[in-house]
Amino acid sequence: MNKLNEILQKKFGHASFRDGQQEIIEQMIDGKDVIAILPTGMGKSLLYQLPAYLMEGTVIIVSPLLSLMQDQVEQLKIIGEKRVIAINSFLPFQERELAIRHLADFKFIFTSPEMLQNEQFNRALKNLSIAYVVADEAHCISQWGFDFRPDYLRISNWLHSLNDVNVLALTATATKDVVEDIKNTLRMNNPFEYIHSLDRAAIAYEMVEVENQQEKMNWILGRVTSTEGPGIIYTQSRKKTEVYAAMLREQGISIAYYHAKMEQSDRILIQQQFQQGQLDWICATNAFGMGIHKDNIGQIIHDHIPSSVAGYMQEVGRAARDGKQAIASLLYTSTDVEHTFYVAMQDFPEEQDIHIAYQPEYAEVEQAETTTRILAYWKERLNEQETIQLFKQIKQKKWQDIQSFYSMIQNDTCIRRQLLHYFDQTLLEKPAHCCSKCRLDVTSVLRKRKDEKNNQDRLNWKNRLNILLPS
Amino acid sequence: MRFHQTLLFIIHKISGQRSENAPYYLLKGKKSGQTIQDVTYFQLHAFFSILPQLSKEDYDAAIAELINGNFIQLKESLVHITEKGIEALPQDKKVLLNGWQYRGKEQIFWKRIDLVVQTLSQFRANEKKFVPNQKDLATQHFVKDYLIQHNYREFNLSTDIKREIVHLLENPLLDDLHRTLFIYRLSGYKKAGLTWEQLTRYYQMTDLSIKISFLECLHIMLDNISVETNPRLVDLAKDIHIDTPLTDSAFKTNSLFEKGYTMDEIAKIRKLKINTIEDHVIEIVSTNKNFSISTFISKEQVERVLHLSNELHTKKLTIIKDRIPEVSFFQVRLALTKGEQIHE
Repeated sequence: MNKLNEILQKKFGHASFRDGQQEIIEQMIDGKDVIAILPTGMGKSLLYQLPAYLMEGTVIIVSPLLSLMQDQVEQLKIIGEKRVIAINSFLPFQERELAIRHLADFKFIFTSPEMLQNEQFNRALKNLSIAYVVADEAHCISQWGFDFRPDYLRISNWLHSLNDVNVLALTATATKDVVEDIKNTLRMNNPFEYIHSLDRAAIAYEMVEVENQQEKMNWILGRVTSTEGPGIIYTQSRKKTEVYAAMLREQGISIAYYHAKMEQSDRILIQQQFQQGQLDWICATNAFGMGIHKDNIGQIIHDHIPSSVAGYMQEVGRAARDGKQAIASLLYTSTDVEHTFYVAMQDFPEEQDIHIAYQPEYAEVEQAETTTRILAYWKERLNEQETIQLFKQIKQKKWQDIQSFYSMIQNDTCIRRQLLHYFDQTLLEKPAHCCSKCRLDVTSVLRKRKDEKNNQDRLNWKNRLNILLPS
Repeated sequence: MRFHQTLLFIIHKISGQRSENAPYYLLKGKKSGQTIQDVTYFQLHAFFSILPQLSKEDYDAAIAELINGNFIQLKESLVHITEKGIEALPQDKKVLLNGWQYRGKEQIFWKRIDLVVQTLSQFRANEKKFVPNQKDLATQHFVKDYLIQHNYREFNLSTDIKREIVHLLENPLLDDLHRTLFIYRLSGYKKAGLTWEQLTRYYQMTDLSIKISFLECLHIMLDNISVETNPRLVDLAKDIHIDTPLTDSAFKTNSLFEKGYTMDEIAKIRKLKINTIEDHVIEIVSTNKNFSISTFISKEQVERVLHLSNELHTKKLTIIKDRIPEVSFFQVRLALTKGEQIHE
């Protein structure tokens, strides 16, 4: 048995590598830059975790998603790795100081692009022997990406300040343009590119046009009460997550809502209840799903047109991790395009905001935090007119994205083919259950719900304590 | 006590003396001179800082409901309890909260016990890989050390902890609502705890009422934890009780008083306004009965202020000061604060 397989089994408990994993890891150990595009749930984390055990030095993982970082740390701790830490704005000041003073004790350091601007942290990093740098969710680097984070662009200068360090860029969604942006920003040197098909054969797609909101509710009610989950219903507003959940709960469905406004402790409990099967359904905004470890999700329902193909792919990609047939359903009305554009543009800086940002007394003006950060970045690089021009372009691109999503579901072409086409990929093999354009027989994909009433037991604290801590 | 009852109880104490917003700052635990002095004036220690997350919208909505229900009235920017309100006051129910003492630190105790139970539950099921509910490193480190010290590999720890939890929960001051909330917020192997929302739905109570009941439970547990009866749990309550319940700033001022500096000198050293130092003095006097106030006000003046306050049934500074012009506002506040301690 070779070294790679040995570590794979001993450390990670897997019998064999999945598609591409071994190749990528070998390239990294050889000291090459790597850019890897593979769908969520395809073992992305292993790519940066495993080589660490064959290489000297510390792995720095830069991730723009703070919520995900916590989860990644936990996943490493679960496999028994203690030399791991997330250094970000959530870490209390004193603990951060302590960690920075002992950086060399860690094998894995997760951090955010914002944190890389911290001088003290940077100085400590420069004295560290670095195995390689990982840019996670690398599509956020690209201003064309659906999740553009300006702070992430600063990684370019930071990388330049380190001496000749290898980079692994990971993402689950990237068009050709975005890949080019990633390569340039990360100063990648003739990188090894691995592009996995983003197709998820086990997911069937169903697009349903309805007349109005009421019909959407009726459709969801019918579907969820008659077929099996577990599933996620994605909607655009917090209020709606609560309304849908209440409506379905009344029908005896075991469901909870989830959105960013909830207390952290409750969000953790809902995630765990869903993962442990105490809940069949979650009704959520797009805040839900990052770091969810559940492989038997059978249905994903959207009640709206998503604002990007990439975001949509991530959300439906949470289904069928176990490879069993699942279905992604999308309900829409003809006016959804405007609504989605409106939602997407809520935090987007208008010409006026940009103008204000370029005034000398700017510091006095209050703007949304994300707006402020994005504008602060561009202010250093472009003049006012150029920035206005740039944002016009981005806005136009956004509108086009939403429009093209709409026409994709309206035309007669296979959904699967079109989704892949968006990422410049071609469909190699069409699965038996493809999509509503390919005469999908929905009944053959769905399982009938067993008519079990979800009557809530009376709470009994002594019994419960005995279950938690059995005698 | 439910949230509205709690609010009514507080308003009853300050009726006709303070604005309708005073209870808000009290519940939030605002560390201003006014709020801290009111805690002592009106004997509201139980409620100080019990709801640091309370939003103004939720608070205003509750006040509006009390007004609409004719339980309270607003007159000349003061809040009054009505006769109907007095009738609705919780009958001979003991106040279970102890906000002044714990100041939100009961949450640290909660985080520790939550993680200890979750860990032991996972270990009992032989499933040592799990995602901890509590994310902050301080709690995780504390619990890790605790488990090692208490030989978590031995079966005893889990049964001891269970017995000690039951013992604390069976305190007659608590009822089944308290006990159920506490146990069902805990998580274990394949059993995630219930969310606040799920509990409010089950009990048909508001979120704030549920949270107050939960806090009552934690406070009563902490009040009664002891080495004799809870040798296991007592360590989880380490550093939860506050010895000197002073704000950091007042604490610094107090140290300077102890070194013999005068108020003016302290203001200069700390680069603070004299008003702020006065607030600190009030705070110190509120918490420390032995702090001598003779350098700020004479015994006779204290007695005059208290006498007048009693006679006029008021704690409003302007009314008292109008009648005794030679004392300062600060002196009136000082006398009233001291006065409450004599009554205790």
